[in-house]
Amino acid sequence: MAQRNASRRRQQKGESFMDYSLLFIVLFLVGFGMVMVFSSSSYEANLKLGDSTRYLRQQLFASILGLVAMMVVSNIPYHFWERFAVPAYIGSVVLILLIIPFGYSSGGATRWLYIGPISLQVAEVAKLGMILFLSSLICKMGKRIRSNKGFMLVLAMPVPIALMLWQITNNLSSAIIVMAIAVLMLFVSCPDYKRFFLMGIITIAGAAAVVFYVVQTAQAHVDDLDFRGARVLAWLDPEAYSSDTGFQTLQALYAIGSGGVLGKGLGQSMQKRGFLPEAQNDMIFSIICEELGLFGGIAVIIMFLMLIWRLMIIANNAPDLYGALLVVGVMGHIAVQVILNIAVVTNTIPNTGISLPFISYGGSSVMFLLIEIGMTLSVAKGIRLKDL
Amino acid sequence: MEGKMNHKTYHRSKTVTVFFLCVLVLLGLAGRLVYLMVFQSEYYTLKARELHERERSIKAARGRIIDANGKILADNKTVCTVSVIHSQISDAEEVIAVLSKELGLSEEYVRKRVEKYSSIEKIKSNVEKEVGDSIRARGLDGVKVDEDYKRYYPYDTLASKALGFTGGDNQGIIGLEVVYEEYLKGEAGTILTVTDAKGVEQDEEGEERVEPVSGRDLYISLDINIQSYATQLAMQTMETKEADRVSILVMNPQSGEILAMVDVPEFDLNNPYTLPNGMDASAFSEKKRQELLNAMWRNGCINDTYEPGSTFKIITAAAGLESGSVKPTDTFNCPGFIMVEDRKIRCHKVGGHGAEDFVQGTMNSCNPVFITVGLRIGVERYYSYFRQFGLLDKTGIDLPGEAGTIMHKMENIGPVELATISFGQSFQITPIQLATTAASIVNGGRRITPHFAVRAVSADGSDSQSFTYPVREHVVSDETSETMRYILEQVVAEGSGKNGAVEGYRVGGKTATSQTLPRGSGRYIASFLGFAPADNPQVLALAVIHNPKGTYYGGQIAAPVVRQLFENILPYLEEKIYTGK
Repeated sequence: MAQRNASRRRQQKGESFMDYSLLFIVLFLVGFGMVMVFSSSSYEANLKLGDSTRYLRQQLFASILGLVAMMVVSNIPYHFWERFAVPAYIGSVVLILLIIPFGYSSGGATRWLYIGPISLQVAEVAKLGMILFLSSLICKMGKRIRSNKGFMLVLAMPVPIALMLWQITNNLSSAIIVMAIAVLMLFVSCPDYKRFFLMGIITIAGAAAVVFYVVQTAQAHVDDLDFRGARVLAWLDPEAYSSDTGFQTLQALYAIGSGGVLGKGLGQSMQKRGFLPEAQNDMIFSIICEELGLFGGIAVIIMFLMLIWRLMIIANNAPDLYGALLVVGVMGHIAVQVILNIAVVTNTIPNTGISLPFISYGGSSVMFLLIEIGMTLSVAKGIRLKDL
Repeated sequence: MEGKMNHKTYHRSKTVTVFFLCVLVLLGLAGRLVYLMVFQSEYYTLKARELHERERSIKAARGRIIDANGKILADNKTVCTVSVIHSQISDAEEVIAVLSKELGLSEEYVRKRVEKYSSIEKIKSNVEKEVGDSIRARGLDGVKVDEDYKRYYPYDTLASKALGFTGGDNQGIIGLEVVYEEYLKGEAGTILTVTDAKGVEQDEEGEERVEPVSGRDLYISLDINIQSYATQLAMQTMETKEADRVSILVMNPQSGEILAMVDVPEFDLNNPYTLPNGMDASAFSEKKRQELLNAMWRNGCINDTYEPGSTFKIITAAAGLESGSVKPTDTFNCPGFIMVEDRKIRCHKVGGHGAEDFVQGTMNSCNPVFITVGLRIGVERYYSYFRQFGLLDKTGIDLPGEAGTIMHKMENIGPVELATISFGQSFQITPIQLATTAASIVNGGRRITPHFAVRAVSADGSDSQSFTYPVREHVVSDETSETMRYILEQVVAEGSGKNGAVEGYRVGGKTATSQTLPRGSGRYIASFLGFAPADNPQVLALAVIHNPKGTYYGGQIAAPVVRQLFENILPYLEEKIYTGK
């Protein structure tokens, strides 16, 4: 209520509404992320590159760029982006296709494009693109979305992008996130629950079937499994695959488990000293847990919950459906990534590379997330007293 | 506008649904975190520790071996191991220069190791402490000087075959060092250091030390003075008689404690892998070299058997007396030979000893007398005494590799075999077995276990553990034992062993001269077994001379050795007993 009163007062004075709670949470996460990127990368960076702040500087650069972009975008009325719906979709497709001739490989996967000195992970563009595209599409469809045809159309739109991300950039995680964003946006725009309930059951049954198939195949002949199959096996018993597929997961579990309730203290992680590969990336949450303990881990989860809560408030008070859908898309994007990342790190689901929003090292990710927050802030600015 | 407002209601509720779904899932994950970080924390902490810690062991100081006078026979010397840690070296050139100079190694050798990328590289071990200290004093980055213990034997060759030596990890290889390994070795300590994935130590994590427990000191009955003198005598004898080997055993016949065990040539315990004088190790194949070393380390007193010859008549006499087959006053006639079935067995005195009683027969070491006694006892009884005296078993001495008695099977013993056994031929026993059996016969019939170890004392002296050894009573009766002491004293006083007599002391004993197999090779073993005082034996000595040149009679060459030994050690032992040491 205090929030609402505050915004009301500002509105009455003719000031534009700024959701400072959201801004604070995001700035905190970005700042905290930088501390953790430095903590988790400095030892190895010093050893391998002779430069302990290499990762920190790159992250700082991307974050500043992202914050500037965020401020710019937050001042652009969000309806400006409505006209970019189709270009965003096509742009995503083109960027992914450009990977084939121009892609840059790192760690065995080709996911980056170089634009001058800046590397760009196309999946991040595709996620934002999908939010923009679906928001417009769903608005245009209006009530037609309730029909099965409309429903299937919305559901079908992200499929090509997801398939391309999976097949061309070998990035199943991003494909899943794109699909998840789409499903969540669709869920919010349809009044019924039944179809989604059905989808949920099918997804769970499908996952169970895959696990069952992998286990069966493994018992017969392990060699027939690809690396994802092996990851499923490693998920079920990481210690049995500790030398290869289960290695990273097991190292993450060591980090988390050895953190205990209070952690070893900031900077005191042992696992980051060459044991946990790429500690500053997807596995950064395990280093947070090792250094800051259960309290640190839970605190981070609470920060993300607050972020999602703010996004929900903004979405539900957005002046129009387009704005609401934009924010729902951002909310879905962040929520899905947080959940999947923590689930992977704690070996709750099989290992797949998903970064922790705002905290994991990765310039493209933090930049595009900040742009999405910029859009959200822009939507928040449009909240009018009479809508509340 | 109205339409939008309409479906906003379900948008809202659905957005809220999404939010609460997220809350639910994140709560679940938080629960998972609690499970991992609270309930599984101990397990993963342990696993992570195992992963992060490197263990370096600290050698325990090995227990010393100390003689009956408190003289240290086996000690530890501090030596250093010099290693380099590649990642910590700041001035590689200086390190190479200093190490190659101080350690006397080629620059090329050191350079190879300094420049090798490894977590820790050993340059040289067993470096003298002074050298290690001077390297450490230079404070070179990346050079590590670790102190270590090396076994050190202050008396070099003294009692080498009994003491034994240790190998590279300070573990016993032969002798007492191996038998008492469990007492001597102690428990290694550990230094646990935390390292990163590559093994680089993390200084700020500190190190955890588990201090080593030093081994126990082993106090043995060996007396360095007696051992030294016996060694001198053996060396002298070996040289003057140009013998292959000379063994001297000195023991306390009452307790079985061994006072000296000499088997020259001995070897240098501080250089146990150096072949005997004049042998160039490189001239032999690996296998041959090992054979030569094994031969050098071999302890003739316990590892080898020989035909005892006439000293064995002690056993025949005891068996005869004990079984009642013979009395000291029984008379015999020796014409210089005796017929056993169709075989003519000669006495060593060609003309024969003529008429003699049993005591005189023993003094003369007359073969026909003992053959007669042996035949009177009979195979089965003789064999049962054999067993009763403990001759068929090993003595159980606390040294490794004791050889067993090589004896005919009872069913294979006919009169001829029995006759030869009676005067100590056609079978083989070890010197220690002979000495132990003779001791048991003269000490009143108590079969003792020969041994060195008296007690093991913890390094701080707080805990002392005495060793006890089995004693079997009534191997022979007191009476027989007393008679044997009398007869054997007569042997030395007026018989074949008179060269073993020591003025002012009552000495008992028996000589032996046996031809080694094959007969007619001209190789003999001369020996003498003596004990004193004859009426209450406190010391028993056996000298065995292998293949002497010139005179080879035990009475002439072996008895004087024991006499000289007794002349020196009897007053010494008397004083020790008198002063109560």
